[in-house]
Amino acid sequence: MLRFTSDDPAVSGGTAYFILRSIMPATQTAAETELAELIIAAVNLEGVRPTDIDAEAPLFGAGLGLDSIDALEIALEVSRRYGLQLRSDDADNRRIFASLRSLAAYIQLHRQPRS
Amino acid sequence: MRPLAITAYTVVCATGYGKNALLAALQDRRAPLIPNDFTAESLPTWIGRVPGLEGEQWNLPAELAPWESRNNRLAWAGLHTDDFTTAVAGARHRHGARRIALVMGTSTAAIDATEAFYRHQADPPSTPPHLRQGELHTPHSLGHFVQSALGLEGPCFTIATACSSSAKVFGQAERLMRLGLCDAVVVGGVDSLCNSVLYGFASLQLLSPDPCRPFAVDRRGLNLGEAAAFVLLERSGSELQLLGYGETSDAHHMSAPHPEGLGARQAIEQALGRAGRRAQEVQYINLHGTATPKNDAVEALVVAQMFPAATRASSTKGWTGHTLGAAGSLEAIITFMTLQTGFIPGTLNTRELDQMCGPQIRLDNAQGDVQLALSNSFGFGGSNCVLLFGRDSR
Amino acid sequence: MSANLQVAVLGCALWNSPQGARPQPSILPANERRRAPDTVAVALQVAQAACLNAGRDPAQLATVFASTYGDLAITDYMCSTLAQAPTTLSPTRFHNSVHNAAAGYWTIATGCRQPYCALGAGDYTFAAGLFAAALQVCADQTDVLYVAYDTETRGVQAQLARSRGVLGVALVLGVTGPADGAALELEVSSQAAAGRTPGTNAMAACLPLIAAIEDRQSQVLCLPFGPDSSLRLQVRHGL
Repeated sequence: MLRFTSDDPAVSGGTAYFILRSIMPATQTAAETELAELIIAAVNLEGVRPTDIDAEAPLFGAGLGLDSIDALEIALEVSRRYGLQLRSDDADNRRIFASLRSLAAYIQLHRQPRS
Repeated sequence: MRPLAITAYTVVCATGYGKNALLAALQDRRAPLIPNDFTAESLPTWIGRVPGLEGEQWNLPAELAPWESRNNRLAWAGLHTDDFTTAVAGARHRHGARRIALVMGTSTAAIDATEAFYRHQADPPSTPPHLRQGELHTPHSLGHFVQSALGLEGPCFTIATACSSSAKVFGQAERLMRLGLCDAVVVGGVDSLCNSVLYGFASLQLLSPDPCRPFAVDRRGLNLGEAAAFVLLERSGSELQLLGYGETSDAHHMSAPHPEGLGARQAIEQALGRAGRRAQEVQYINLHGTATPKNDAVEALVVAQMFPAATRASSTKGWTGHTLGAAGSLEAIITFMTLQTGFIPGTLNTRELDQMCGPQIRLDNAQGDVQLALSNSFGFGGSNCVLLFGRDSR
Repeated sequence: MSANLQVAVLGCALWNSPQGARPQPSILPANERRRAPDTVAVALQVAQAACLNAGRDPAQLATVFASTYGDLAITDYMCSTLAQAPTTLSPTRFHNSVHNAAAGYWTIATGCRQPYCALGAGDYTFAAGLFAAALQVCADQTDVLYVAYDTETRGVQAQLARSRGVLGVALVLGVTGPADGAALELEVSSQAAAGRTPGTNAMAACLPLIAAIEDRQSQVLCLPFGPDSSLRLQVRHGL
């Protein structure tokens, strides 16, 4: 793996920050790890461990490579586990699904108590 | 290509039994869609359910009892409407049973029977014997059933390419006839309501909780419907003709169309090209128009770019619902009726068109002299099929 | 009088695993591999191999996909779930349950915008699909990729349908081929043909033809084509 230091003239401030972030993924809370396990199981992400998922990295598109069908699968599983509905036409979806962290936070705010 | 003559056709759908019932509903702007009463669990949506299909008059005769299922019942009802079986018997007499091919379209065939079989696993001895008939539980159960019901012995298969299934059957018919492999073809599509598609499309969040509003600014998804549609094609014998067809793939995504409608555009060009006609000559387009956000956006774009303002276009799914594997043939039949009567259906339920619609997409019904009409079918899995029909008034 | 269809066989491929082993086609991106059902995996494996064998670009080929049952594991999942807890139906598995799933995945993976057909014909599926593909070659004067596949019955379905193992076959058919290659002449006949041996895969009817092509044997085969008809296949090899 290539290593850059921040005083290397080839590296801009922004790039150094990105590489630093991917070397040290944001630490997950317990709720985020639980959600990561749910996601991996729901979309059959082979060979990915829950702690491999960077809590602040984008969930969709590049990286994990999830798409709109995966989003529906995750929404279904979230609904079963936490009792809240996630609609594909919700205008806030971009923000809610932006990262593991944002999705976990949304679930914490809106989850229904188990009956 | 050399045109094929459409010498008989019939339809059973939410508007009832036969072409007259369908035409009357279209003209009266009477929507037969009802709130979903098909599924055991609550699923808020509207459906196009064939009224009275469970009635005794549609029971299958004893020799066809092994095929009992909602789908085959619906096929049986379709065959016995508008004297279609009489027309086929006439063709059999003219050409011989071996010279009549049969190409059917469906998406789920008799899956309702397989669903029922699984439900009976809670109490296996309660399983009705006919549900153990292995062939019932295949996509070709439709083709095989219709072949038996009509006594046909020519080449026969069932196409299952989702929403384009019973449009593609017309292309197969043209090739079979042109190469001299048969002298007549029965084509069509049958898809009945079933739990698989209702819960399935619900899981994809593609179902509208209201009656569907094709091309509306506030559209919220599709309504499912069921239908049986049959067409008899021969080399001559009718002024109503198949003039062209176009088939392409989107190669983009299983459940979303190509965002620029490349495949749709090419299919339209192919259909026109095969007939040697131009877009400006088309007077009516029966759109796929499912009322999903993505299909309608792409289809509206393609139509606006390819056709002049004078071309009338509409989606009739507000009357019938989306009948999936039957849609291609059902909507071809609506196009036939437009060519034969000059009645041009508009678009039901929609109050305000989305701004990306061009002037072609109409809400109101109209009357005119229609000689050339197009029918679009754009399927799940990216399969596109466009059909061009005309009236030879010579 | 019935016309005959004549096509050249430009390439072929077979995946035959009575034990039910599933291939991992490299043409399927990792993202799709994790959710593609067995039928998609075997169909794409043989489709890719046949195109390689024929030296043809997949993106240029119209295709015909044929399967007797479609994906039996998915059907088993769908009907079990619908019987017990229908609102928990997986959107991924539903969208994989369509009979044209393999065709859809193939065209997406290869970027192929040529038309595809997906069909079934019960016990006559292999012959019907071959006939439809040859029909398209002759009618449209174009090369066509034919892919046929069936997998094994699972769970409750075993009471209704019997198919063992995972089997996929693909043939690239063309208008003309190399002089030393294989050619087929197809004729619809009213003679009956022998049905499938019990305990085999539903698509096992393809095996004698593949053997004839790979062994470079000129011979006549008879495939079941309908309740009262068969497809007579004359297989010829050039010098």
